[in-house]
Amino acid sequence: MNHNRQSNDGKHDDDSALSDFLASLMDYTPTIPDELVEHYLAKSGFQCPDVRLIRLVAVATQKFVAEVANDALQHCKARQAAVVKDKREKQQKDKRLILTMDDLSKSLREVGIPVTCSDVLKKNGHAFLFFVFND
Amino acid sequence: MSHGDVKSTRDTIKSENQQRLSLGRLKADEFGRAVSKIAVAQICESVGFQGFKESALEALTDILVCYLCDLGRNASFHANLAGRTECNLFDITRALEELEASHGFPSASDIGHCLVGSGTVREIIRFVDSEEEIPFAQPVPKFPIVRNRKLIPSFEHMNEKPPGKHIPTWLPAFPDPHTYIHTPMWNERASDPCADKIEQARQRRKAEKALLQLQQRLVCNGSSGTSTSLATDAEKEKVQGGESNPFLAAPLQPGEKDVSQVVSPAKPTDEASKGDHVSMLEAFAPAIEAMKGGPSDGEKLHLPEKRAAVHFKFRAGKKILGEPLDLSLQKKGDRGTTAFLRIEERDDKKRRAEFILRQTTEFPMELNQS
Repeated sequence: MNHNRQSNDGKHDDDSALSDFLASLMDYTPTIPDELVEHYLAKSGFQCPDVRLIRLVAVATQKFVAEVANDALQHCKARQAAVVKDKREKQQKDKRLILTMDDLSKSLREVGIPVTCSDVLKKNGHAFLFFVFND
Repeated sequence: MSHGDVKSTRDTIKSENQQRLSLGRLKADEFGRAVSKIAVAQICESVGFQGFKESALEALTDILVCYLCDLGRNASFHANLAGRTECNLFDITRALEELEASHGFPSASDIGHCLVGSGTVREIIRFVDSEEEIPFAQPVPKFPIVRNRKLIPSFEHMNEKPPGKHIPTWLPAFPDPHTYIHTPMWNERASDPCADKIEQARQRRKAEKALLQLQQRLVCNGSSGTSTSLATDAEKEKVQGGESNPFLAAPLQPGEKDVSQVVSPAKPTDEASKGDHVSMLEAFAPAIEAMKGGPSDGEKLHLPEKRAAVHFKFRAGKKILGEPLDLSLQKKGDRGTTAFLRIEERDDKKRRAEFILRQTTEFPMELNQS
């Protein structure tokens, strides 16, 4: 009985936290616009008239992409620190953090998306990704 | 765009997308991808990147689009599993958990717990609280744009009966038979070769008349001479047709003024022969009358006082000489040479055409000279 009551209280807390969060979502504007999210969700069969859920999906996607980018940034910084620099020019140039395919593929592999980008395709200027989310 | 290109601002990405779109190689989802690219660039910028490689940016855009589609697909799957068509919060939570299952999330090991307390949602809440708000750079219109398609009207609409009992009336109507069956075309106009020739000749005469009148009018307007006397002749008044413009030069009577010798062709007084060879004589009549310079048969002729076109008449006289010869031939009543006449007719027509052309070219020259 006690356990149930505790769990019930916990549920209420979670409920309230979630409902508060959904309400706060209306104030928060995610970077990914609502129209874009609606378009792709409609393409895949997602039907929901509630705007808050659309915002939730947008925020979730933003979080995912931000995580991947953050990992890539860590890789980039790690690479810059590892390289021993003698000339100042190169150091100044390397201070600019640039998102490269190598860093990105490393971070994506951690997330579970194996990205293959051959050198031939790199030369052509296109990166064709063959990756599959868990299916 | 090569692999090594570095883009550091959103604006350059936008311009590049515009360039690509303007090239015409539009794929199905170009607009969505372009917008996603801008969003991804904004997210990366907020994370701390100062520049991107083109291929890396495209890869990340692909991932964003795939993630969105997968999330939607999973959520709708869970909703359908529960017997619903519309998704709710728990469907999304389950979908999120599925996507993140490969690399783990807090409370993943808890089974049988309420989804409200799911780790994924909590992480999202934490993310929203920690991250500052970065709205999208530009306003995005609602897409894709729904166009109202014009539907083919049904049988009922067209008040047509469908050709077959098995076809209901609410189906779109069949196209008109002439669009898919080769139907024969009949020339419903009765052709009368004789009447056609007469009609043709009449039209030709009309055209020549109009041309000659135009020339006369041009000469009238060009010449500085004015009429000394108003038209007193009844014929002239008839010719003028009620026009009471005193500034228009009235045509002179032959013999009223001394003019240089003009070779006048034979008058077309062969009323008898006119009846036999209608087309030829009537065709020549206006040209001959213009030559004479006097009004006749109600023709509207305005000749200049100064006679600036003397040369032309002289020259033209030579040309017309050919024609009286033909008239003489007709006078003889030589019917056996109808074929010959026809050939002559063609030559004369050519000559007449040349004559008229020469008038138009010579007139401005003479006007300048006078």
